[in-house]
Amino acid sequence: MLSRIADSLFWLARYMERAEDTARILDVNYHMLLEESEKFYRLRWDPLLVMAGEEPRFRTLYEEANAHTVFEFLAFRQDNPNSIVQCIAKARENARTIRDRLSREMWEDINGMYHAVNGFDPRQEIPGGPHRFCDVIKFGSHRFHGVADATLPHDEGWQFLRLGCFLERAEMTTRLVDVQYQYLLEAPQPVGQPDNHQWMAVLKSVGAYEAYHRKYYSQIQPEQVAEMLILHPQHPRSIKFSMNEVQAGLRALSGTQPGSYSNEAERITGKVLEGLRYDKIEDIFHRGLHTYLTELLGASLKIGENIARSYFYYGVSA
Amino acid sequence: MPVKPLNAASRGLFERYEVGEFYDEMFSAPGVPRPHYAKLFQTMAGLQLEQFDERRKIADLSFLLQGITFTVYSDGAGAERLFPFDLIPRIIPYHEWERVERGLAQRVTALNLFLQDVYGPQKILADKRVPRSLIYSCKHFRREMVGLEVPRGIYAHICGIDLIRDSKTGDYLVLEDNVRTPSGVSYVLENRLIMTRTLPEAFQAYGVLPVNHYPTELCRILRSLSPRGGGAAEAVLLTPGIYNSAYFEHSFLAQQMGIELVEGRDLIVDDTVVYMKTIHGLRRVDVIYRRVDDDFLDALVFRSDSLMGVPGLMGAYRAGNVALANAVGNGVADDKAVYAYVPEFIRYYLGEEPILGSVDTYLCGRQKDLGYVLEHLPELVVKAVGESGGYGMLIGPASDKKTVEEFRQKILAEPRNYIAQPLVALSRVPSYDATLDKVGGRHVDLRPYCLFDGDAVTVVPGGLTRVALREGSVVVNSSQGGGSKDTWVLREEGLREED
Repeated sequence: MLSRIADSLFWLARYMERAEDTARILDVNYHMLLEESEKFYRLRWDPLLVMAGEEPRFRTLYEEANAHTVFEFLAFRQDNPNSIVQCIAKARENARTIRDRLSREMWEDINGMYHAVNGFDPRQEIPGGPHRFCDVIKFGSHRFHGVADATLPHDEGWQFLRLGCFLERAEMTTRLVDVQYQYLLEAPQPVGQPDNHQWMAVLKSVGAYEAYHRKYYSQIQPEQVAEMLILHPQHPRSIKFSMNEVQAGLRALSGTQPGSYSNEAERITGKVLEGLRYDKIEDIFHRGLHTYLTELLGASLKIGENIARSYFYYGVSA
Repeated sequence: MPVKPLNAASRGLFERYEVGEFYDEMFSAPGVPRPHYAKLFQTMAGLQLEQFDERRKIADLSFLLQGITFTVYSDGAGAERLFPFDLIPRIIPYHEWERVERGLAQRVTALNLFLQDVYGPQKILADKRVPRSLIYSCKHFRREMVGLEVPRGIYAHICGIDLIRDSKTGDYLVLEDNVRTPSGVSYVLENRLIMTRTLPEAFQAYGVLPVNHYPTELCRILRSLSPRGGGAAEAVLLTPGIYNSAYFEHSFLAQQMGIELVEGRDLIVDDTVVYMKTIHGLRRVDVIYRRVDDDFLDALVFRSDSLMGVPGLMGAYRAGNVALANAVGNGVADDKAVYAYVPEFIRYYLGEEPILGSVDTYLCGRQKDLGYVLEHLPELVVKAVGESGGYGMLIGPASDKKTVEEFRQKILAEPRNYIAQPLVALSRVPSYDATLDKVGGRHVDLRPYCLFDGDAVTVVPGGLTRVALREGSVVVNSSQGGGSKDTWVLREEGLREED
């Protein structure tokens, strides 16, 4: 497989995942915040921007973070390179450069999604809230994975889609837990009322709310939410699950057996997973959650760089 | 399901259709279809305009979803536009087609023999059947190719020969040869697919020759060119990239043939061997179906500012380590002045008379022709010889005095660079005009696609019919309101039923 094609597949999946994750966070938090009292509004729009990694850019474009500006910024702004419409446009651009390697169904689905997303008129959508729009993105992303799994050969190209998707997801969940924890624990609490709602929103935004209840049968405890999102072995949006997928993809590409590694991306992934497999949530809190997650984020970044170095780029050798 | 009531104002498709003064391929007289169109007329005349419109929208949506669009960058945003597809097919009976096919095979064979000769022994020049000065002054004549042996001696593997029909007689004439990197074949295949989905009932009365074997045949020819022994034949399609207007076609063909679609940056030449950069290291490339123009192929030999090509590619080609399709330097054969000599090629190399006629052509580089051209400029079509795609053209009868005078100065400054032809009134086929919301006669041309494997020529039945959708227009280019039609060549048995 051409390196350029592998590169495009990787980024196609990454942008699709980024669009989905942004849509999830936006959708859940938006509706939860509407129930909150006015007093906490301003404070709580900020974490969404931090999670998306776009707070500084937002400040240059808007004076105030509120329901309208945050929705517009995260969903529709063309000058936010990580807005949902931009992610979908880039996913489609990557798909277009390799459309001969995609199945016809897959290309038409991505292309159709691109046209559907561009058919939304922000002026109409913004007053009505993001649910309709975000649903199109979420289900579009699910369909993307479904069509890919069902119509592409599960060969090397498919592994690059898997890598792109799960590396992006691991990063997004890491940022989500980190940001929410900081904001929620530092925010002033209304007296006598444990703030469950925002933790519920965290769970919902990764689609883990029901699963949490099945596992813990209890009131929502921040530590357990963190445990679930970091260490749950089967939940498809937990960091551990995502990293396991990254490792499986890397091994499928290089043919490396468990216990060894053949490139830097595999070494770092193995090292990260070592921690995720044997650490308990108490160990993590003991070391400091923020420190732990910051390290994780740094590691994902390095994994991405090294996938590119091993598979995508050629030095000049002629 | 209840039939939707039609509103009183709705009209049948061919109601009030005007046959006009031009050769109409469908109607011999108002309301009287030619025999091979009779069944189509029956099927389609029953459609009301609004029913037809519904089908048309389905077809358009299908093109949009597949991303079969070209990009217009005029507004900076890069708007994507559809290449309009007209749902009324163009039908060619087999006895007509059979003659066209033989004529094309003859022409493609002669063009290949000419290229072999002109980059080899140059006998035709030594015998003074074509002026040496004409050949050596061609913009696309490549000295670099003289004496270079191309794999299996084939130069023009893929040819698109533009045909028009004389409006008086209906005869097929060659308007232009395209033997560099002709495009459009993907539309032939896609149009057919969409047509069978949108108007399936129209096919039922006919036996239409299939077109979808084209990619298989092309792939077979490409692989047969491999210079590497032992059955190894890694073929790739080299594209300028997604911003090229024919990008859809490049990816479509690569996918249909199951070969890699590569850009210049995916390839590298080491010690006169071409490799592609894969995730597991370099892999040798044997055959390149290149959709990049000569000028941009190799920055070491041609334009040094080209980033689309592969530095060192010509070295590998010269060393015989890679095959290119089409060959480099083919532009000398489809130069518009050389066009006037193609009938001579056919006589010289094949000892035959040309089967297909051509359009009278005046070479401004010849003194006596120049005099005539300057005298009759407002009646003539003038073309720059090295251009393609409708650029650098004067349509005398459709131009104002100022434009004509501008061209006169251009011709006088550089006579060799221009040819002139009488304006051929193109035949017409009924087509839907969205602006006027009615079906009218619109001018068409035809580009059949020919593949040459060194022994035989395969022609895809039919080809791309381009139609000038604007009323009265004769310009079929997509940038100027042109569209396309599905083109049917009928099986012989289908025709007998007719007679």
